[in-house]
Amino acid sequence: MTPSSRTRESTSGVSRRDAAKSVGVPSGMIKEYGHLLFVLPGLLFFLSVMVGPTMFAFVVSLTDWTGRGNAFEWVWFDNFVKALSHWPLYRAAINNLILFISILIFQHTIGLFIAVQLNEKPRFMEFYRAVLFMPVIISLVSTGFIWTLMLSSNIGFINPVLRDLGLGFLTSAWLSNPATALPTVIAVTAWNSVGWAIIIYVSGLQNVPEELKQAAQIDGANGWQTFRRVIFPQLSPSFTALTVLTFIGTFKTFDLVYVLTGPIGSPNFRTDVLGTLIYRTAFGASGNYSDEVSMSFAIAMALVVFLFMTVIAWLMIIFLRRREIQS
Amino acid sequence: MKKSMFRTIIAASILAATSSFALAQDKVNLTMWHNHPEWKDRVQAILDRFEEKHPNIAIQLEEISGTNYSARLNTALAAGEAPDLFGLNPGPTTAEAAAAGYNVDLTDRLDISGLTDSAKAAVTIDGRVYSAPILGSYTVGLYYHRKIFAEHGLTPPSNQTEFMALCDTLRDKGITPMIAPAQDGIIPSFLYAMMVSSVVGSDGFDAIRAGTRKFTDPDVVKAAYFLKDSFSCFQEGALATPYVEGKALFALGQGAMLEGGSADFAGFLETNPNVDVGVVPFPAVDGGTPATVTGMEAPYNINSKSEHIDEAITFLQWMMSEEPAQMVVDTITLTTTKGIVPSDNRVMKEMIEAGRSNDVRVFYELPETGAVFGVVQQNAAGLFLGDLSPEEFSEIVQAAVKPSGN
Repeated sequence: MTPSSRTRESTSGVSRRDAAKSVGVPSGMIKEYGHLLFVLPGLLFFLSVMVGPTMFAFVVSLTDWTGRGNAFEWVWFDNFVKALSHWPLYRAAINNLILFISILIFQHTIGLFIAVQLNEKPRFMEFYRAVLFMPVIISLVSTGFIWTLMLSSNIGFINPVLRDLGLGFLTSAWLSNPATALPTVIAVTAWNSVGWAIIIYVSGLQNVPEELKQAAQIDGANGWQTFRRVIFPQLSPSFTALTVLTFIGTFKTFDLVYVLTGPIGSPNFRTDVLGTLIYRTAFGASGNYSDEVSMSFAIAMALVVFLFMTVIAWLMIIFLRRREIQS
Repeated sequence: MKKSMFRTIIAASILAATSSFALAQDKVNLTMWHNHPEWKDRVQAILDRFEEKHPNIAIQLEEISGTNYSARLNTALAAGEAPDLFGLNPGPTTAEAAAAGYNVDLTDRLDISGLTDSAKAAVTIDGRVYSAPILGSYTVGLYYHRKIFAEHGLTPPSNQTEFMALCDTLRDKGITPMIAPAQDGIIPSFLYAMMVSSVVGSDGFDAIRAGTRKFTDPDVVKAAYFLKDSFSCFQEGALATPYVEGKALFALGQGAMLEGGSADFAGFLETNPNVDVGVVPFPAVDGGTPATVTGMEAPYNINSKSEHIDEAITFLQWMMSEEPAQMVVDTITLTTTKGIVPSDNRVMKEMIEAGRSNDVRVFYELPETGAVFGVVQQNAAGLFLGDLSPEEFSEIVQAAVKPSGN
């Protein structure tokens, strides 16, 4: 026991040991595990809002419960077997994968480029940063709605603007044309998420020691070489964080796609993602009766996706951390 | 003197306060969810009239957009937090709710003798009544802008050939032939229903339900061909156009025709009070009879967990009476109460007339074809884009039928 703690005990009049004795807890245990008491409220909250519902969802996935009424039968792992052979699940996962790769490339190129420019502290930097980060704080539903209006072939202004600029050949029914629907969703997602990339990379760039850059310059490295050999390796933690966050964000995307292209991932499922598929399976694509609506099957698909994402994210972290150490 | 006057005022105030408190306590509040926010003012006007007649009952109306309605209602029902009154599609959806014990069995508690025969049939499941069609029914046909047609000397089409020729003519004149908000597939599903009906008629439709006719029969596959061809008449970006946007575009005259229901007219007026439209049955597949489709506007159920079931029954019963039924047909859509005709609503009269030729009930209200509507909804875009041939599309649709003969 340190003198200061001894002083605290004497001033409070009751020692920790006395308190432990009074409740019949051995003092060694308090010393060893006492700190866990501080974690307890958070742990209980986590158990009640995350682990509990997940376990309950797992139990539901072992039944054939449709989501309406109380009637169900145990089907055990049938929903999981069905999910693994369910083509729409793979079709949606492929769309998520395309979205992930596209956004990842966008963030690690355009996002990084903008971050480097901002790190040079140009005039009005705060303004640029605020403008670029603003899409992140706008609700995704609002974002989707605004873009739907702008992209509309009937009332949108993007096509008329392109025509006025003499770029009429670029006009398209953006969200209706099978060739442009998914790329358009990707573009809107990129616009919406680039703020994260910029913030994460700017904070990484600000942690790069000035001496390293100066040493490289003294050694004769030009701007690109300094960036490639000195600055970029120092950004490895930012790269890791952004990659993993992008993976999680793009694989659980729902609201933006739902607002942009509706519950069936128009046109003809070209933009259907895991989120819309699971939602549609759980609640239906409209208020009308559908045999395809099954809450238990939707939950089974959600759990399969959850497991897949956990494993991939874990492998990503291991791989990228190793890369961080090497660099 | 002053003192006694003061006492009198205090006593009177206390009396007034307690009596109003007692009145407030006696007043029953019923919650009601509805899935047409665009009708809010019109529905509220009917509810206000009910409250005038029944001062002890208040209805708290909550409007939820159609796209989110079923998800929210299903969740609330499962959680035991649904409102006292909620609308559900008749047929399989209501039967499912009844099996789950979500709604009150209204058989012998609700007098439905004033309803039309088709409405009675729609709300009766195995001889039991679980709901009341208080906001009427809808008939779907083809709306057209009378002014556009008159200006160009055109007449509404009655068959596939005329329809496709009209599309070409309108397009040549720089007019979008047809507005079809096809993002969620609901409009194509109604189109297909009318095209099939134009081939098979109501008897053939019964035969499909019985399993003696199929969507894959060569003459019925022609309906899938017509649906595919009609895509070329739609506005640009139809597959990404949401329902509300499509209706607004048509109301504002951005297209000459729109497949729509009687219930859509109120929405057109909200968007454009000067809208001037006419209605005809949807053009037939060549050789067939132009057709319409009719369904119930989600009849209302009473939550079995409601604490005010008697008051809710009073409300439903009143809603099926003459006065509210007249308000429904004059301001919202067609009524299901016998003997009520639109007082001064030309469009509703035309819709009633359109429904006289070849009208069938919508797929999703019937147990055998309950799942067909959703399947068409999800696969129509595949047909439009050439991902599915009309034959493949018809096969998929047929697979969703549960024939009563089996």
